[in-house]
Amino acid sequence: MRALVGTPIAGGSYEIAHWENFLFTEACAAEQLPDGLAHPAHLFHVAINGAGTTIQELFDAAGSRPGDRVSIDFYDWTLHRPLREDERYDVTGSVTEHERSTDRRGCLRDSVTYEFLLRDGDGAPVAEVAFRWHYGRDDRATP
Amino acid sequence: MRVEVGDVIPPFQLPDGATPERMRTTAAILRDPTPLHWDREYTRARGFEGRLLNQTPLNMGYVLNMLMAWAGPTSVRRIRARFPNVVLDGSPVATGGSVVAIEEVEGDRVAECEVWCDRDDEVRCLVATAWVTLPDGDDVTPR
Repeated sequence: MRALVGTPIAGGSYEIAHWENFLFTEACAAEQLPDGLAHPAHLFHVAINGAGTTIQELFDAAGSRPGDRVSIDFYDWTLHRPLREDERYDVTGSVTEHERSTDRRGCLRDSVTYEFLLRDGDGAPVAEVAFRWHYGRDDRATP
Repeated sequence: MRVEVGDVIPPFQLPDGATPERMRTTAAILRDPTPLHWDREYTRARGFEGRLLNQTPLNMGYVLNMLMAWAGPTSVRRIRARFPNVVLDGSPVATGGSVVAIEEVEGDRVAECEVWCDRDDEVRCLVATAWVTLPDGDDVTPR
């Protein structure tokens, strides 16, 4: 696990399509936003998928198996400007921190922090996304 | 009316709670493989009595809805959140918040807000600090 720290995630780009913004805004139980604005709750998956990876791949890289407990610790999202439909965001990301500890039930867990940066086509920062997941290791040695 | 420290932010309420339909849409858009969001047998086997667990980006979405309705759709600058409990399908959801500080940032008035999201009127599922750019003249939506 410790070897993951500093590992860059593939990197890539993402555009929020109108249909996607419409459906996800509806899923957030929000009114549709004006002027092509995208709901800011997009940030989580735009960061992950835009960086050329998926939630499943992040689980796999952390050695998580089907049925394992994965829980969220925190999100820290910064918007330098609003997200918009059909605007290309270039996304870079990496694993920035790992901590091994024991949870409330006395089970081993690995906590992994991921950080992503979204830039526009001119290289200007649009948003920063950090989050930490706890990977439960109930009954086995960790990778 | 000028926004002041201690002002209460009008809540966002979702009386019908998180729904399986919105969770399924979100799972597809996020490419989230976790069965906790769409498989009742899976959640029953894990002690949730067959109720589905809402995705945390949706819980963020509810708080963001509240902030955008209050200060405008481009107002949110940063949000830092933790998730002490899960939101389950069918539970009524409500957000709340208040202004804890105001500062000038590059010519903008920025409100630091303590915000939260509760289920069933009592279970706190999200606690966060958010920074919001106040509109010109502090023209926020009043409580």
